[in-house]
Amino acid sequence: MSSTNKTIQQKIEELNQMLAWFDSDDFSIEAAMEKYKLAEAQASEIESDLNGYKNEINVIKQRFDTEA
Amino acid sequence: MAESTNQITYSVSDFIAVLNQTLDYAYPAVVIEGEVASFKVNQGKYVFFDLKDADGSINCFMTVWQLRLPIEDGMKVVVSATPKLTQWGKFSLTIKSIRPSGEGAIKKSYDILKAKLDKEGLFAPERKRLIPEIPTHIGVISSVQAAGYTDFIKILDDRWCGIKIDVANVQVQGASAPDQIIRAINYFNQLEVTPELIVITRGGGSADDLSAFNDEPLVRAIAASRIPTVVGVGHEVDETLADLAADVRASTPSHAAQLISPSRIELVRLNYQKVQSVIPRINYRIEKDLSIVRSIVVDMTDGMSRFIDNQTARLHIVRQTLNQLNPQTILNRGYAIIRGSVELGSLVEIETNKVILEAEVKNVINK
Repeated sequence: MSSTNKTIQQKIEELNQMLAWFDSDDFSIEAAMEKYKLAEAQASEIESDLNGYKNEINVIKQRFDTEA
Repeated sequence: MAESTNQITYSVSDFIAVLNQTLDYAYPAVVIEGEVASFKVNQGKYVFFDLKDADGSINCFMTVWQLRLPIEDGMKVVVSATPKLTQWGKFSLTIKSIRPSGEGAIKKSYDILKAKLDKEGLFAPERKRLIPEIPTHIGVISSVQAAGYTDFIKILDDRWCGIKIDVANVQVQGASAPDQIIRAINYFNQLEVTPELIVITRGGGSADDLSAFNDEPLVRAIAASRIPTVVGVGHEVDETLADLAADVRASTPSHAAQLISPSRIELVRLNYQKVQSVIPRINYRIEKDLSIVRSIVVDMTDGMSRFIDNQTARLHIVRQTLNQLNPQTILNRGYAIIRGSVELGSLVEIETNKVILEAEVKNVINK
């Protein structure tokens, strides 16, 4: 599990931005390999997060069988 | 009340009160099944009808607000009621709850309410809101003992993680189910930090089991929820009015879990696929740059080649010119070169293309 506080969705968004660079005017062959490695690491981190997190279930104490 | 000769003499109203006390004690609540006849609503508030079978009939009374489903003459219903003698001596049932009984009546009531709510626009597609692609906080309204709830949580756990799931444990069938679900909807809607969506779910059951989800106030509460709703009730073939009012309709609890969450396995696969997809793009950019370089080299080669050809052509012309000016070329055309003084008696040297000879000048004529 990642130590950062970013949500999985934020990390997915970051990955998408990294990949968008390859289609942008900023693309340079010199930087491409490094960017590729970063994107690969980000995908790996997302996978690790997805395998590490669990859903958090909380059954509400309030009863609903009578008016509160 | 007066007592004479061991017999109690009641006033009329006392007797009615005593009889009602006795009835209350003996039958605090009775559940009766019968057919509705002479159904009418007075002043928009009070509902009167007869409950009958082949051999008997009882007057019934209730308020219009207790009607959770459309009722009409001929419909078979089950009522929960208290028997009562009115001050006019008329025996009647005061209805606490009423619901259609039997497939025919349930279907008829369902169709009437569906048409009514549809006309009001509660099921209109333009009312449907989008749910978040990846939710982080959801409210679930279900019975935690129900198989449908277990299925929902299992599929959700399999598919996705990191979701905060607040569960309102309610009855999902029976007379009190609609009100409990409505309270849970209101509870989530009144929170300071509301969940991103509400999932209402239960597993399959008979038409009677699922009838709680055709309750008019519940359907209206779902439609009125400011939090988007997902309803997954029963099996694929079941359709409830709660389904139709929801922003997203799921055919089963498992399907509800699938609709609200992406598959983590699929997402991981997709992420790696997206990363891999940049390799052809890098190759394309490299190929594009190489193509530009190749084009420059070709242009340079072509330029050099043209320059050399030009210079070669010019050299050729110069060579031809030089060749034309070469004295030997002139001699070859039959001319001769004369060297020496052109005077009578002097010796001159004459060069042709083949020989050089000496000659004496014997005559000079001016032109």
